[in-house]
Amino acid sequence: MSYQLTIEPLGQTVEVEEGQTILDAALRAGIYLPHACCHGLCATCKVQVVDGEIDHGEASNFALMDFEREEGKCLACCATAQDDLVIEAEIEEDPDAENLPVRDFDGVVSRIETLTPTIKGLWIKLDDPDGMRFQAGQYVNLELPGGIGSRAFSIASQPSAGEVELNVRIVPGGQGTGYIHEQMQAGDRVRITGPYGRFFVKKSARVPVLFMAGGSGLSSPRSMILDLLEEGFDLPITLVYGQRNREELYYHEAFLELAAKHPNFTYVPALSHEPEGSAWEGFRGFVHEAAKAHFDNDFRGCKAYLCGPPLMIESCIATLMQGRLFERDIYTEKFISAADAQQVRSPLFRSI
Amino acid sequence: MDMTVAKKKLGLKEKYKLLTRDLGWEPTYHNKDEVFPYVKYEGIKVHDWEKWEDPFRLTMDAYWKYQAEKERKFYAIIDAHAQNNGHLNITDARYLSALKIFLQAISPGEYCAGKGFARMGREFPGVGTQVACQMQAIDEIRHAQTQIHALSNYNKFYNGFHAFADARDRMWYCTLPRSFFDDAMSAGPFEFMIAIGFSFEYVLTNLLFVPFMSGAAYNGDMATVTFGFSAQSDEARHMTLGLECIKFMLEQDPDNLPIVQNWIDKWFWRGFRLLGVVGTMMDYMLPKRVMSWREAFEIYGIENGGALFKDLARYGIRPPKGWDDAGKALDHMTHQFMLALYQYQFGTAFHSWIPSEEDMAWLSKKYPTTFDKYYRPRWEHIKKLKEAGTPYANMGLAKLCQTCQIPTVFTEPDDPTTLCHREVEYKGETYHFCSDGCQHIFEKEPEKYIQGWLPLAAIFQAPLNGDLGAWMEWVSLADGKDNGDFAGSEDQRNFEAWRNQATSNQ
Repeated sequence: MSYQLTIEPLGQTVEVEEGQTILDAALRAGIYLPHACCHGLCATCKVQVVDGEIDHGEASNFALMDFEREEGKCLACCATAQDDLVIEAEIEEDPDAENLPVRDFDGVVSRIETLTPTIKGLWIKLDDPDGMRFQAGQYVNLELPGGIGSRAFSIASQPSAGEVELNVRIVPGGQGTGYIHEQMQAGDRVRITGPYGRFFVKKSARVPVLFMAGGSGLSSPRSMILDLLEEGFDLPITLVYGQRNREELYYHEAFLELAAKHPNFTYVPALSHEPEGSAWEGFRGFVHEAAKAHFDNDFRGCKAYLCGPPLMIESCIATLMQGRLFERDIYTEKFISAADAQQVRSPLFRSI
Repeated sequence: MDMTVAKKKLGLKEKYKLLTRDLGWEPTYHNKDEVFPYVKYEGIKVHDWEKWEDPFRLTMDAYWKYQAEKERKFYAIIDAHAQNNGHLNITDARYLSALKIFLQAISPGEYCAGKGFARMGREFPGVGTQVACQMQAIDEIRHAQTQIHALSNYNKFYNGFHAFADARDRMWYCTLPRSFFDDAMSAGPFEFMIAIGFSFEYVLTNLLFVPFMSGAAYNGDMATVTFGFSAQSDEARHMTLGLECIKFMLEQDPDNLPIVQNWIDKWFWRGFRLLGVVGTMMDYMLPKRVMSWREAFEIYGIENGGALFKDLARYGIRPPKGWDDAGKALDHMTHQFMLALYQYQFGTAFHSWIPSEEDMAWLSKKYPTTFDKYYRPRWEHIKKLKEAGTPYANMGLAKLCQTCQIPTVFTEPDDPTTLCHREVEYKGETYHFCSDGCQHIFEKEPEKYIQGWLPLAAIFQAPLNGDLGAWMEWVSLADGKDNGDFAGSEDQRNFEAWRNQATSNQ
């Protein structure tokens, strides 16, 4: 048995299982609610129940007062749903969030291309002639047959493109990506669910943007860049894009062309393991090193969007912060897994 | 007729802004430097106070409402505790020593924190900061009061509780927390925030409160559990204020980094030393133990502290200088401290005792690499002396550390058989230290620490002139009642007699 949990002011609805706490459901859906002790003592996670019945669980009488219970407050870390719920949490309203509804979309694989030895591009034509509305940077869940289940992929194409493009890196031993690489054929029927995620460009801030992408993390930044350029965004856009070697550096030519065509777009490719003596004349090293050199260690005044493997993200965050760009201007795509939710983290940062 | 439209209720955010930030004003007949004279001298550069984040958005009106209900609940339980002879529900009277140390050494610290935050609320120019400091000042005073009130029930029946304020000022083991808070209160506003907001509230609170309150629960002390819960609901706010301050300093200007690093080094070590008292209480004084000091430090110190320093590394902050030495001290500190307390037990306003066989078995299980090797033999020896009618007491005056002010009873980080002593010559005088950490702190600010008042030295000064009885009077210690071995003490006899009365028909 599960219930619907709507979180205001985001207006986003997520599933909450019987016995699952509101906090857990929100975090797993990628929605950060402030929290600390996680067992009903500190009151950091206090939220307002606007509609529906909850069970207060183990909330301490000193952390959640009687008058607050009467006012409909609860501690998200202990409260469980008895009903469909609407809660209001202290989350900043995001002027750039379109809060698009999540739907199921059926379609057909129109083509599959090999982008690098490890990455395939997958184009899906949706049955709905209007396609799917999404914000550049968001992701979808792709349903796979044979009991594999669904897998999350960021959309690599911009919202105006007719088809939904996904770039899939093969995970050694991975069932889902293995299926896509080895068995999926053009003409297969597929279903995707989305759009998901709160990773999109804060256009309303009107400041220069910096994208840092590595590995298979190029999809969201590519979608965002194509979208920005298409709508005539006129502030500087920089893409620092890293792969191991030249073979893996997919869409390199396309970005060179974009940079030639748009004077406000700068493209900085970096290769970390390119054999010495090869023809590569660009930066050799990691994404964070390339960015530090390109920006001369001063990132002030921009907003940065990070996408890639966890180690790359961590190095980039440290580099940005030591180059004077801080949490309020750094955005990363967060897939919070059950393991992440239990990891010991300090309360120093909320979103990075 | 016109429709009456209900006035739109203010959102939390607007309400918070109106009741805090909008209350600030730009002074016109004095310049800001005159209004806030202490905010610049520490060298911290601030360019924009508006960047200070207020994660809790608590307004004063809501604050009063919360605290009022907490008080009602707290005092209802304290009254019930008194009426139902709650003091007889504790496991046994040895537990009282833990409470006495808490009341003499920790509760006055809460009061100092209250005074400090009241001052910081005045000295910081940012309005968000002022409001947060104001609330924390009131919280801390409330914590001190509720602790004193909760423990006042015990004072009606047992020794050693009556003169906690004198003990705080003059007792040699209380000078450890006292010097910590005096150091913090006499620092500038930003350093105070690191000392209390970061070191005390983040690194230490979990280690102090969680094990201590669990200890209270395990040992049947509802009154203490209740003040723990009542205080813990404030701690998240306090911890956030401290961390917010660190982030703010580090983000405002790159020149702030080395200053903050230096304070983190200093206050981590001062905090670690302070925890010696708490750890000893946990390992030796709780009749029913929750976890060892080592286990608590692994969870709350190493795991949580480690997570914090990993995050701070993004700013370029490295783990505190004393981190490794603290790790090396883990298996030794509480044993060495307890031995010190025992050998000077004629001069403590609580009882200590030789651990029982069962206690020692527990200690060797929790400290498998050190207890049997270094500490059990000493206790066995002390036990023999006692059985022979010549109990061990150290009547000498210990060498005191000029920084943390406790006797230099700890050993070298890499050699648990050699006492650690450090000396520094400054302006023709020799100063002593218990560790490299305390020596480094002194060397950065010698002019501050040479002014330290070490109350134990008073015993040889006029008017005490070496008279132990006069010293006891001076520290309000009732000889034969408050001090000495637990075995045979009045507390032990009374507790047993009263509990028998309560649980039998004799």
